[in-house]
Amino acid sequence: MLKKFIDTVSGRISRPLKYYEDICVRCGACIDACHFYAASKDPAHIPAYRMMLVKKAHQSGEAGKGALLDWYRDFEGADSAMAAQLRTAMWECTGCRRCAVFCPFDLDTGLLVSSGRYAMLQEELGPEIIAEIGGAEVSKGEIIDFIKEFYVEQTKELETRLREEFDPGLEIPVEKEGARVLYVPLVGEHAIIPAAKIFHAAGESWTLSLFTATNHSYFVGDMVKAQQAANWIVQEARRLGATSIVYPECGHASRTLLNYFDAWFGAEVEGMEKINIVNLTHQYLKEGKIRVKPELFNVPMTYHDSCSLGRSSGIYEEPRELIQIVATDYREMTPNRELQWCCGGGGGLIAAAEELYDARMQGGIPKVEQIRKTEAQWVVTACENCKAQLEDLNEHYDLNIEIKGVIDLVADALML
Amino acid sequence: MGTIEYILTYITPYIAVVVFFGGLAYQAYQWRQAKPIAAHLSLFPRPESRLGRLGDTLVEMFTLRGLFRVNTMLWIGGFLMHVGLLLLILGHIRVVTDFYFLWDWLNWGESELHTFSLIAGLGAGFLFMFPLFYLLLRRWGGSVKFLSTPEDFFVLYLLIAIAITGNHMRLVLEPDQHAMREFMQGLFRFNWQPVPESAGISFIWHFALAQVLMIYFPFGKLLHTIGAVFSKMVARS
Repeated sequence: MLKKFIDTVSGRISRPLKYYEDICVRCGACIDACHFYAASKDPAHIPAYRMMLVKKAHQSGEAGKGALLDWYRDFEGADSAMAAQLRTAMWECTGCRRCAVFCPFDLDTGLLVSSGRYAMLQEELGPEIIAEIGGAEVSKGEIIDFIKEFYVEQTKELETRLREEFDPGLEIPVEKEGARVLYVPLVGEHAIIPAAKIFHAAGESWTLSLFTATNHSYFVGDMVKAQQAANWIVQEARRLGATSIVYPECGHASRTLLNYFDAWFGAEVEGMEKINIVNLTHQYLKEGKIRVKPELFNVPMTYHDSCSLGRSSGIYEEPRELIQIVATDYREMTPNRELQWCCGGGGGLIAAAEELYDARMQGGIPKVEQIRKTEAQWVVTACENCKAQLEDLNEHYDLNIEIKGVIDLVADALML
Repeated sequence: MGTIEYILTYITPYIAVVVFFGGLAYQAYQWRQAKPIAAHLSLFPRPESRLGRLGDTLVEMFTLRGLFRVNTMLWIGGFLMHVGLLLLILGHIRVVTDFYFLWDWLNWGESELHTFSLIAGLGAGFLFMFPLFYLLLRRWGGSVKFLSTPEDFFVLYLLIAIAITGNHMRLVLEPDQHAMREFMQGLFRFNWQPVPESAGISFIWHFALAQVLMIYFPFGKLLHTIGAVFSKMVARS
């Protein structure tokens, strides 16, 4: 039982995980950190318990050395009960790292789950759809020439529309050589429209990537494929001579850009600017490259810190400053910033739409309560995953809110 | 002195020391062997400069201010216990040698020193022992119960037993300090001296359990003493 999981996970205990395995004192500080545990009270949702499960599996190769050792390690064998618990522990986690902030040793359950998920998939325990999307992102690069024509055509249509609606001079360049900025969008035009407006207003030399920023292999801890998917974007930037890679309002992708690209690509991305669109927009505004109508939106609104952008990338103040310029009634959720509750849909859970729907709705309860307390009508955030989850929570719990992106607000308030 | 007592007094201490240092070296080697992760696993906010991050780690380690913010009760229990432990370790230096320069400087004689060590020893001993009871109690109920393994109880019972026997010597028996120092120095110099009679039955228990602690130390969760520094640096990489 669980042999593939045990073999795989044993080979994936990296140095930080080894520290976790050896030094966690099970003090219980992380119990209050997890939004899943807050809602479910299922022990398998306690961050340190997730490590206990993996540790037991990891050490089970040494089981049968004697009843005393097994008792001491609280080990009852890698049976189906353990498999069920592992399934909960590894998949009903958003890798939000709130527990790492609570932990006196900063032990990282997000990293544990990342490694654990990959091992779970070897055992076919878990939603394979996430890994399949990840695989498609890798193979997209090989067929890009076939879909390019269609993509350019669609972009032209969007450009024509925006010229009528926004400004006749607006351009959406694709594959433009010599552009300073390579903007990597998401699937769908909603991530292109506000960015195109802002780039146009700032007079930026930019081009649209043929790829999307999302990286589903990263969600399942398949770092080889995650790197392969990201490599298409790096090579595109190099081919076009772009000196800045700009990522859209997408948490996990921005985290790979800001925290993994240097390790993955080394010299190939050296000297290249790597920045999230929210921070870039903030720069434009500070430098006077764009101007916005101040206090345009007279609606009570709040900001939700995406875990990947906040805790894992340190983007806390820029989105808040942008919102506070264009809004009259900004309200802060409590707690916020590094203690912000996760929306409950991150870490790829949103991609496994049906399979993890119940868990997501349950895990979103602390967030729902936080939002209700602010009595805000708009919830602004800068992460695609959070937006999709907040939409679902809105519907499921009748929150009567609207979910907006930070750059959506800025784009709507632009003065040309 | 019986055979068992003789072994526990003059032979096993050397084994405990070897296992303690050997075990730590083994664990350091294990950690060294594990593959590091090249990506940044930082938790924000964090100081920008390298020195700032090291400073932040040390301040965090010695104050546990992060825990104070999210779980004040646990901070009170955990932090006081560790402060007590630190004071006890400092105090135990006097079992081998003494801070002669300090007492000279303070101009303290035998009686002042006796009063001081009684108060300090009592304070540190209780500061260590009472939080341990709290840490044990909270493992019996509530959510922490799910997280508690036999190891967690073993360590707590062990530490409590060491604390009780130690406090018993400090408060009730008050062994002859000079004779005790000669015994301990004798162990270091392989020039074995008798244990002072005044240390009573508590001594052999205290001494033997401390050896159990040393032997267990490198192979269990007490490794957090050392690992926490590395782990906290990863989160500020």
